[in-house]
Amino acid sequence: MKPGTGHIILRTLLFYRSSVISQILIIMLLSAVISGSLMTGNSVRYSLKRSSSERLGNTGIVVNSGMRYFDPSVSERFSRHSAAGSTGILEMKGYCQNFATGGSAFNVNIIGIDPSFFAFHGDQDLLIGEGSVAINSKLAELLGLNEGDDITIRFDDISDIPADAPFAPEKGPGTSMVLTVGKVLSSGRAGNFSLGISQITPLNIFINRSDIITEDGEPPAINRLLVEGSRDISVSDVYTALKEVLTPEDIGLKIRLSEMTGSYEIITARIFLDESLIDEIKGVLPLAEPVITYMGNRFVAGNNMAPYSFISGLPSSLFADLPNGNGIIINQWLADDLNAAPGDTIEVRWYSPDIDNRLTEASGRFIVSNVAGMADQVADPLLMPEFPGISGSESCSDWDAGVPIDMKLIRQVDEDYWSRYKGTPKAVISYEKGRELWGSNYGPATSLRFPPVITGPEIRSALEGSLDPYRTGFTITDIQAESIRAASQGTDFSTLFLSLGFFIILSSVILLVLVLSTYLDSRKAQVRTFFALGFTDRYIGKMLIYEAGVVAFAGALAGIAAGVLFNLMIIKALNSVWSGAVQTDTLVAGMAFYPVLGGFSATLIVTLIIISIRIRSFLKGFKKAETGIYIGHSSRLNLILLILCSVPALILLVLSVVTEEFSVPFSFASGALFFLSLIFLFRQMLLRRPRMVASGAERGRNILTTLYNSFNPSHATTPMLFIAAGIFAIMITGVNKLSINDRMLESSGGTGGYLLWSELAVPVKEDLNSRAGRIEFGLDDEELSGLSFVHARRSQGDDASCLNLNNVAAPPLLGIDPRQFVDKGAFSFATKLKSAGRVNPWELLDTPAGDNIIYGIADQTVMQWGLKIRTGDTIVIRAENGEPLSIVIAGGLKASVFQGYVLTGFRDFNRYFPSVSGSQILLADGDPEMAAAYKEVLESRFINYGIRVETTAERLSSFFGVNNTYLTVFSFLGTIGMVLGIAGLGFIMLRNYSRRRQEFALMMAAGFTPRGIRSMIMRDQLRILVAGIITGAVPALIATLPSLRSGTDIPWMLFVLMMISIFTVGVISLLVAVRRIEARSLITSLRKE
Amino acid sequence: MLRINSITKSYHQRGTVLKELSLHLMEGDSMSVIGPSGSGKTTLLNIIGLLDKPDSGEILFRGEPLLNYSPDESARYRNRNLGFVFQDHLLLPYLTVRENILLPLLASDLSASDFGEKEQHAIKLMERTGISDLGEKYPFQISGGEAQRATLVRSLVNKPSLLLADEPTGSLDKNNAIILGELLLEMNRELGVTIILATHSHDLAEKMAIRMELVSGALEEVKGKAK
Repeated sequence: MKPGTGHIILRTLLFYRSSVISQILIIMLLSAVISGSLMTGNSVRYSLKRSSSERLGNTGIVVNSGMRYFDPSVSERFSRHSAAGSTGILEMKGYCQNFATGGSAFNVNIIGIDPSFFAFHGDQDLLIGEGSVAINSKLAELLGLNEGDDITIRFDDISDIPADAPFAPEKGPGTSMVLTVGKVLSSGRAGNFSLGISQITPLNIFINRSDIITEDGEPPAINRLLVEGSRDISVSDVYTALKEVLTPEDIGLKIRLSEMTGSYEIITARIFLDESLIDEIKGVLPLAEPVITYMGNRFVAGNNMAPYSFISGLPSSLFADLPNGNGIIINQWLADDLNAAPGDTIEVRWYSPDIDNRLTEASGRFIVSNVAGMADQVADPLLMPEFPGISGSESCSDWDAGVPIDMKLIRQVDEDYWSRYKGTPKAVISYEKGRELWGSNYGPATSLRFPPVITGPEIRSALEGSLDPYRTGFTITDIQAESIRAASQGTDFSTLFLSLGFFIILSSVILLVLVLSTYLDSRKAQVRTFFALGFTDRYIGKMLIYEAGVVAFAGALAGIAAGVLFNLMIIKALNSVWSGAVQTDTLVAGMAFYPVLGGFSATLIVTLIIISIRIRSFLKGFKKAETGIYIGHSSRLNLILLILCSVPALILLVLSVVTEEFSVPFSFASGALFFLSLIFLFRQMLLRRPRMVASGAERGRNILTTLYNSFNPSHATTPMLFIAAGIFAIMITGVNKLSINDRMLESSGGTGGYLLWSELAVPVKEDLNSRAGRIEFGLDDEELSGLSFVHARRSQGDDASCLNLNNVAAPPLLGIDPRQFVDKGAFSFATKLKSAGRVNPWELLDTPAGDNIIYGIADQTVMQWGLKIRTGDTIVIRAENGEPLSIVIAGGLKASVFQGYVLTGFRDFNRYFPSVSGSQILLADGDPEMAAAYKEVLESRFINYGIRVETTAERLSSFFGVNNTYLTVFSFLGTIGMVLGIAGLGFIMLRNYSRRRQEFALMMAAGFTPRGIRSMIMRDQLRILVAGIITGAVPALIATLPSLRSGTDIPWMLFVLMMISIFTVGVISLLVAVRRIEARSLITSLRKE
Repeated sequence: MLRINSITKSYHQRGTVLKELSLHLMEGDSMSVIGPSGSGKTTLLNIIGLLDKPDSGEILFRGEPLLNYSPDESARYRNRNLGFVFQDHLLLPYLTVRENILLPLLASDLSASDFGEKEQHAIKLMERTGISDLGEKYPFQISGGEAQRATLVRSLVNKPSLLLADEPTGSLDKNNAIILGELLLEMNRELGVTIILATHSHDLAEKMAIRMELVSGALEEVKGKAK
């Protein structure tokens, strides 16, 4: 820079201060929206991290056994071994009621804790008294509970045995307890503790684990171990320490001695041993051999029959002379009972271990290979596992076998056998055959037997410190890091608000360009002088850029302060009027360096680019040679374009009315073409060049305006296009707010044609479509005959719907029977797995995909925004046994009631989550007229299950609420942007006015009045304004015709307000601008400059 | 025809420009006003054209006082009685030469026959001034001299009785300046239009019957015979 340039720049900026201030204000607006949006994104991320940190308290790493339980003493041993603080909890979902008012809350976290829990979270003195609970303030507020009030809580029964496992005892509707609220805890006292990843404040009940009594009369075990967060301990350290301290008993294994054989065996409290656990034990103790024992309903030989007896599949390595294939050894008792001998055929019947056919009898025919004596090693009473409903019974009639027992079949001889030999199997077959017949999702064995050479202490010693936690059903997660990741990768509010504020940004840019043009116009003489004085292009350009740089810097800097305000307002709105988008009111506006720097830099760059382009084009104008060639605007070409747009627009409009299926794309295309048609029509009118004829002053002015516009059509079409495009976009967005329409209630719609969506705190085990299930719950009335259900089982996981702002990696699975949807033609797919060809994605859910690989289906929106995956992608979660389970997404559903879940086939679900018993989700179908009656019936029949029933339409609406809130924000910010843009019309006017001063002065000299000139301009600009509004609004209505016809709730009030605002601001801007056209100010223009 | 009695005009920064200035012109007179830049020539023409107002004084046009006119009456007065020619041609860029010439007709409520008659008058003037072939051209497609002749025709299209010419040859070369000067005098002679010409050009000024100089805000007659 040459000396003195800084001085010139400063003097120039001061001289043109009013234009410079305008530029600074516009850049400030741009900067405010950009930096404000970035700050909002940062604030939301910060708030999510803050709320997750508040929820986790001191928890850093969590050891999770899913639906299984482990011994609470692990916590103490773990802490001793690892020197890391820990506490065990029993985490359950349930529901509760204010005992006095009956007010209820669903989806409540019931957390069974030990005295160490609050100490772990840094509150050494906080304890819950016996028989009382602590609740968090949100729950207290929701149910109107105070300390001293009674609360009823209900949750599913706690049992090691999966409720659906063969021979699991019958269960009722969970456990119910009435307790006193001892404490109401604020967030600062771990009240909002939660391991879930969600910004929504949980509803928490803390109960002393010792106050919960299970069926065996003991406090329940735990299912989570919380490990204190510290830099010194990692997931790997926790894994190592847990492995070191884990004993067989911790995970429900029991080592016992068979007196009959002198060998030890391992059995499990779950009755059946998992395949992975068997592999794990065999990995440590290779001599372990699996045994499976099952109950046969009938043993038939000829005309003789023995009911309800046990039969074992034994390993040949431990039991000599076992038959292969269909060979069977029966004991002497059964041989006598059936009058059977070697070579005879025995038919054995049993209930299928497969959950889908649990009450279906299967059978097999076996050839007796041998008859064993009652003292033989195969007649070992310990071969029967500890079936809780059977093992301790005095007689057969006391059995609670979990399956129907026909007591009439039980004879005295059977009671005698039970009395003498208990569950000693009456027959044995090979293990391989036994596994084939009775192995199930719950495991392929009921025990692991060892040769007599291995002792119990040796087994225990070998297993202690050797069991891999990951292969025994545990997952270990750095929950703190995961929460931070989920918050960081969650809904990006920076991009969101940059998009929502698009029109403000666009308006700012347009305003900046206009103000800059006016500014540069006023600099022409100065620049010409510089050229004349011999300054180079480069120098003049540089000087202008430096000037612009100072202006841009000042504007961007001031915009940061305005951005802070913008951020504050947005966060306040998100916590209140727009809370539908975030489902919380706990967002905190924060400021951070990078968003500020980002906003500042982005504004500076954008502004400097715009300014540089304008300056370059401005300087080029000085070198442009005047050719005297005038190429007019072709009205013929414009007319062709008008016809090319309007004819298809009309055709598409008719098609959209007459066709049902494609009415949405047709009407949208029609609307878009109408939009273009109106633009071309307006331009066509402008290009008309009337002859000057006798007309009268007023018409004479109109002729002049028309001539002006036909010469400069862009001066009218540009602002008109801006107004029209803005209104078109805002109205389309507004009309496209999702709301329930008739189509969504059809089978192919988002409700699948189902009427009700029910969630139960305690899963219902019965099949409500079966006669027995309907009788059980009083659904067998004739009136309810049309009522049917889709049962869905739910695994644990964090809500992946749009209601969760965090990025959820492991959503809950819903196990459903896809055949029901195929038969009904329920739901529609937005995307399908390409490699599957034409196969219905629902059918893929019944198709095996491979070991530890299953097919899944999710809502398209969940995939796109929540999980950030596409159809065909794979998500990996942990199966119940701890093994990774890959879910291949076979299809993306169009907006449906399943948002938040990944759906999978019933069979796969039960295979990988066998402990999930019963259905927590019920989709009810029936007569739509009776929806209200069905709802009432379900609420009364399942009151003990903590049922919450809503119509599928209501559920869908709740998801639409989020989307619609964003659209409202867009419409709101869009309207602000439009209004600001319209205010820019004033600048267009001023610019044109400045360019046309001489013209107006001349008109005045020729006899036009200043009022007439003002009126001429007002009419012209009002015509642009009205044309813009009509061109935006009418095609928008055409584009959204299907929504209008389907009775969608249209925000007419918003549209009317928007248009009134745009019109009012436009008129005010025009009035302000034309006021400056007055005689005195024009006279000077008549002199040559 | 035109009587100006003791008009005074001051500007905040320039001080008094016209001081007790008086003038009396008869129909068909032609008068030139010379004087240095800033002496008030343009101000005087603007005041006569009611584009500006004096601080004091009186202007009578055909015996009627003008200074009490409303803006609409002022506009009508200009449209019916005055023609303006400026140093810069001030042709509207988006109108053809013909349309520019007819522009003043749009400001008045003319019947179709009157309009037709004036249009014919314009055509004759265009022929007379040598621009009849340029009617459909745009201003940026013609030369400065042609543009200024078009301006002259525009100023006369409404058959004004008074033509105010403010430095009409200031932007023209010598030849074009001579042609325009001749045209002005011809119009004065043939149409009987009264001309007030403000100029720096002594050659042009001397062609007018009355030659005045603005000195200290007042008009003083320049002695000597007209050319």
